[in-house]
Amino acid sequence: MEQKVLLSLSHISKRFKTELALKDISMTLFRGEILGFLGPSGSGKTTTIKIITGQLRQTGGEAMLLGTDSTNIDASIYEKIGVVSDNSGIYEKMTVWQNLSMFAKIWQVPRARVEQVIGQVGLAEHAKKPAGKLSKGQTQRLVLARAVLHKPRILFLDEPTSGLDPSTAVAIHQMLLNLKEEGMAIFLTTHNMEEATKLCDRVALLHEGEIVEFGSPKDICLKYNRSKKYDVLLNSSEELVLEQNPENIRRIAGWMEHDEIACIHSCEPTLESVFLEVTGKVLNI
Amino acid sequence: MKNMHKLAAVAQIKWLCISRNSMMMMGPFMVIAMVEVCKVLYGIKSGGELAPVLTGFLLNLGITMNICGDGFVMVGTTIAEEKEKHTLRVLMTSSITGMQYFIGSILFPFIMLMAVNYIVLFISGIPFKSVPMLTFFVVSVVVSLTSCVLGMIVGICAKNQMNANLIAYPFMLIFMMVPVFGNLSEGLHRISGFLFTGIMTGMTERIAAGEGYVMTPADGLVLFGELIICILVFLLLYRRNGYEKD
Repeated sequence: MEQKVLLSLSHISKRFKTELALKDISMTLFRGEILGFLGPSGSGKTTTIKIITGQLRQTGGEAMLLGTDSTNIDASIYEKIGVVSDNSGIYEKMTVWQNLSMFAKIWQVPRARVEQVIGQVGLAEHAKKPAGKLSKGQTQRLVLARAVLHKPRILFLDEPTSGLDPSTAVAIHQMLLNLKEEGMAIFLTTHNMEEATKLCDRVALLHEGEIVEFGSPKDICLKYNRSKKYDVLLNSSEELVLEQNPENIRRIAGWMEHDEIACIHSCEPTLESVFLEVTGKVLNI
Repeated sequence: MKNMHKLAAVAQIKWLCISRNSMMMMGPFMVIAMVEVCKVLYGIKSGGELAPVLTGFLLNLGITMNICGDGFVMVGTTIAEEKEKHTLRVLMTSSITGMQYFIGSILFPFIMLMAVNYIVLFISGIPFKSVPMLTFFVVSVVVSLTSCVLGMIVGICAKNQMNANLIAYPFMLIFMMVPVFGNLSEGLHRISGFLFTGIMTGMTERIAAGEGYVMTPADGLVLFGELIICILVFLLLYRRNGYEKD
């Protein structure tokens, strides 16, 4: 079955005065897909989202969002997309319910949908609480709830779990996977490679405004798995990292035969190590 | 009108923001209270009946304080607050247009300015039969609108609430102090004739003195001219950077 393209970028570039922030960015996003944009701070992730969503004009190239050129989109496009930036604010003096119901009025979303979303993000018991009194994790869940209130076809998330505790991050990951199941396309920027590996169907590794690698996390990792290694923990508590060669294969087979292996793992590179290999720089900065 | 629900939502958001800000909500009540207290104090001093010059002064003071103190500040600081708390961009990426945000932002402050103008008129002690109601309404509408648009300019230029207050103060000093103290200095009185607040105070002084008021072409030019200039400046700033510079 042919996949439906909701977003396509073709040779996008962006120059800020003398600095070239984005260079020849091309990609597509399909319905029901999570696409990760992975790169360190300042690599151009937020700039890309701003160009796609019409908040910034590109210097060159073409971005088509839901069939419309991003340079021609007007405010009505935001009825079909959701945007969560790293500093999306909330109305702190309003209650959680008011924060959502105001936007429900803008998008003409029924009250039942507000109740549904507030329950999904686990804020039902805080509905009457002023939003300014929520914890950081609860605030981020409120921001996410607001972004999906009108069931957008594409959701743009800029570092959605940045600075959150692990349990909140896991809750948000689950929510994103549920949205994906419902057919929503998600464009996710992050510098957290574990998050990208867990959530994304495909990722683009961005370095200094340029895509240096693109594909599924698994394919990218396997592509760079040039020297195969195995991490072996023996019953004697001895831990070894062994390269794949005839001698080590025989040793591992022998240990297996005598049930001496406590655990064994293949050592494929992670997205982090791939990024380091391709760019010479670490990702989590 | 298409998308009226969006306009109504923005106006409601603004109302909730303003009504939960006690400093902003105190402004109009302070104006009314000050006029009432001054009326009582001047009344005691002058044996109960206020001279027309005093009722005119009270009306001027109340209206200029309302237009300048509440108008600029209320509109300007709520926009600045939205920038500071990063909610403005959220609103603008939720399918709200610039025009809807503009109208939604000034709707409640405008109604409030108008209401306070009338309350001050009624409590100042000026006999109603000497007030040309239609002219008072027209002048009041134009002056309140100009004040709101000035507030939008303040908001568009400000980065945060503190900054908004700093930008608003010079406007406040000029548009409030010059007409209020126009009676003390011939120079200030002359300058006052070129200010939209000065036209308003000039009208109220004549009403209080029982002379009646008919808008002259020069007054109309100043009133409507300054409103148009404010709108043009706002549009210029908006076209350059939108509500928020990237």
